[in-house]
Amino acid sequence: MSAVSTSSSRARASGPARGSGGPNGRRRLRLGEPGTAWVFLTPAIVLLAGMLLYPIIYTVWVSLSDFDVSTFQPGDWVGLKNYEAVINDPGFLQSLKVTGIYLVIALPLQLVLGFAIAFLLNVAWRGRGVLRALFLIPMVVAPVVAGGIWRMLLDPLWGVVNYALGLVGIGPIEWIGDPTLAMVSLILIDTWRWTPFVVLVASAGIMALPSDVYEAARSDGASRWQTLRHVTVPLLVPVIAAAFVVRWLGAVKMFDIALAATKGGPGQATDVVNLYIYEKGFRGLEFGSASSMATVVLMITMIITFFLFRLSRYLENRW
Amino acid sequence: MRRYLRLAAAAAVFSLTVTACGSSGGDDAPAADGGGLGTAQNPVSIRVLANDAFAKQWQDQLVPEFNKKYPNIKVTVDGVPYNDQLAKSMLELTSPTATYDVVLGDDPWMPQLAKTGGLVDLKTDLTKFTDASYDWDDINAAALAAGEWDGHQYGVPVRSNLLLMFYNRSLYKKAGVDEPTAETTWEQYFKDAAKLVQDTDGDGKTDSWAVGTYFTKDPLTPTIWQTALNSAGGKLLDENLKVQFDNETGVKALQTQIDMLKYAPPGAATYQFNEPLEAFRQGKVATMFMWGSVYKGTAIDEATTTLKEDEVGITTMPAGTAGPGAHRGIWTAGVAKKSTHQAAAWTFLQWTTSKEGEQWIGANLGTFPARNSTLEGTPPAPWLKPVYTAISAGYDAIAKGEMWRPRLPESDAVQQILALQTSRAVSGQATAQEAIHQAATDISALLKSKGYQQ
Repeated sequence: MSAVSTSSSRARASGPARGSGGPNGRRRLRLGEPGTAWVFLTPAIVLLAGMLLYPIIYTVWVSLSDFDVSTFQPGDWVGLKNYEAVINDPGFLQSLKVTGIYLVIALPLQLVLGFAIAFLLNVAWRGRGVLRALFLIPMVVAPVVAGGIWRMLLDPLWGVVNYALGLVGIGPIEWIGDPTLAMVSLILIDTWRWTPFVVLVASAGIMALPSDVYEAARSDGASRWQTLRHVTVPLLVPVIAAAFVVRWLGAVKMFDIALAATKGGPGQATDVVNLYIYEKGFRGLEFGSASSMATVVLMITMIITFFLFRLSRYLENRW
Repeated sequence: MRRYLRLAAAAAVFSLTVTACGSSGGDDAPAADGGGLGTAQNPVSIRVLANDAFAKQWQDQLVPEFNKKYPNIKVTVDGVPYNDQLAKSMLELTSPTATYDVVLGDDPWMPQLAKTGGLVDLKTDLTKFTDASYDWDDINAAALAAGEWDGHQYGVPVRSNLLLMFYNRSLYKKAGVDEPTAETTWEQYFKDAAKLVQDTDGDGKTDSWAVGTYFTKDPLTPTIWQTALNSAGGKLLDENLKVQFDNETGVKALQTQIDMLKYAPPGAATYQFNEPLEAFRQGKVATMFMWGSVYKGTAIDEATTTLKEDEVGITTMPAGTAGPGAHRGIWTAGVAKKSTHQAAAWTFLQWTTSKEGEQWIGANLGTFPARNSTLEGTPPAPWLKPVYTAISAGYDAIAKGEMWRPRLPESDAVQQILALQTSRAVSGQATAQEAIHQAATDISALLKSKGYQQ
């Protein structure tokens, strides 16, 4: 607004002919830098509002109403009734617990493995280019396909994993039929699929490390371990933090692998929260409850992500 | 002058009215659009919302056959994955305009679909488009009931299916066990099952097991013990929709399915649809509780099975105290109320479910008929004879024991609860009694929250 006013006053100061916007009498609108920026940002903002904000607002609206299946629209306003039901739903609480177990094990595992492999790939050796390329394959496999393929590989009767174990006298193991092993399998599949992503991010970070710091460390007589402990890791903290946050955001919404591999079973052994919400909404048509759960999960995710960002900034500043 | 102007205006209005009447509903209309069935110059296009398991088969085989008789009705069949189909169908039926003219639904979905108000009553709303030879009374009552809700006929059975018992005659013979019949009880079945876990090639290792069926966490898995429950005279819900299975009969029924796992191949706890089917077709299991529609691919099509026609037997599921078991799984199809091509849509469904259509479908697609005359008549292919016998017995069983999933809009939510508790029991996370009690409590709470008296 101020930019427009300034342009107008400038126009007035520069005389009647120019001030009237030219021979046709049209006024020329000058928006200035912020105004121009907003003009260019508007399509993106409208798109984001439509694609992101509207679904969130709609979900919250549904969560506060009694969803009418006959019209497939939110019906009467029920306040926090759906949220009360969700908080008292043992299945939902169990799925949160299952998600927590999966995240606590899978994320650190993928980060440690990813950075370890990245270090190995960073060392010059014959064939590492091929291996690097092969590492990308799991990432481009659709999660549902990955889940389905692993389900076949782990099958006790037909699967190649049990066949190989059988050669050394182990098994057959009920990888997906046993509640504990089903979670192990889910984490294994997810790790197989997502560790390459961490490897990629870590490799980029490692390659960008400044060589002069290492030369200085070498001339100071630092050992390999000391170099890793006091030079490499501190320098990589922003990369590690970024990789963790990105993986966290990806992992927290995981449900497709679980759907294809275990269907959340046996029982609720691998029933991650998004799968539980999906089943509640799209199979049970309990859209009110499902939306309340989605809103609760969104809030939890936002809070944890906020603290992760704070932690990440703290670690960056510390080193 | 003014009078002339008024007269001219009145004449113009009248002529316009006459023209409008002529174009919208006059005698010429049916001829122009073939009575809603299209003409060579102006064909009618209809869209069908179907399941992806058979949408392609319909598009590639069924539609061309239909077009031999009705060449001016262009049919597009869209397949949707099973897990998404109910929600998509609900969205479709509640949207302001119709994208689809025909909507298909699995057996328990009709109450939900009908409740949207988006389907027409085929018996009353489309009478003017119904062929005089279309015989409603010939359709098996138990099959037709799958498309009925609240006193209205919203769907007709287009893919009749029943949960039946398949058995491998060679494996029974090898084990020295008499083949099962419709009179075989669950007790006898389990006695035989112990013998059917066997080493068929004499290498000292078990390589053939007794049973393959659903065991994983899936809404279809509980249908196995639900059938055992029904064949023992039990019910999931009573006439007032109150939970009625939290008792000894319910526990015993669930225990039946849990016990089956002892005689199933390693890894059977994760079996859904494909795994038991593959195990049976590879000769790894002697019996399979499965949808009858897989018969053709299991016994006839050499590309999909290792078994020969004379190796595969089919009968109703083992009997309980009330009689043999089966479970209804019929896909019905309805016409969308907002469809602008209801005549063409209903004509497509009439042909599909006509005597002629059923004969062709039975012979070429392997889908079961719903018409008594088809079941009792000469099958279009010799291999269908034992199948039709089993289906007829199955229809009698389901009618007697009301062997189907709950007929209420919350049917899928009920099956979800049953699926979870069945999975807990099958995987040993709960006893049959605990699982049944928890399922009963959860279903009761669900129904109460929806306003049903509990």
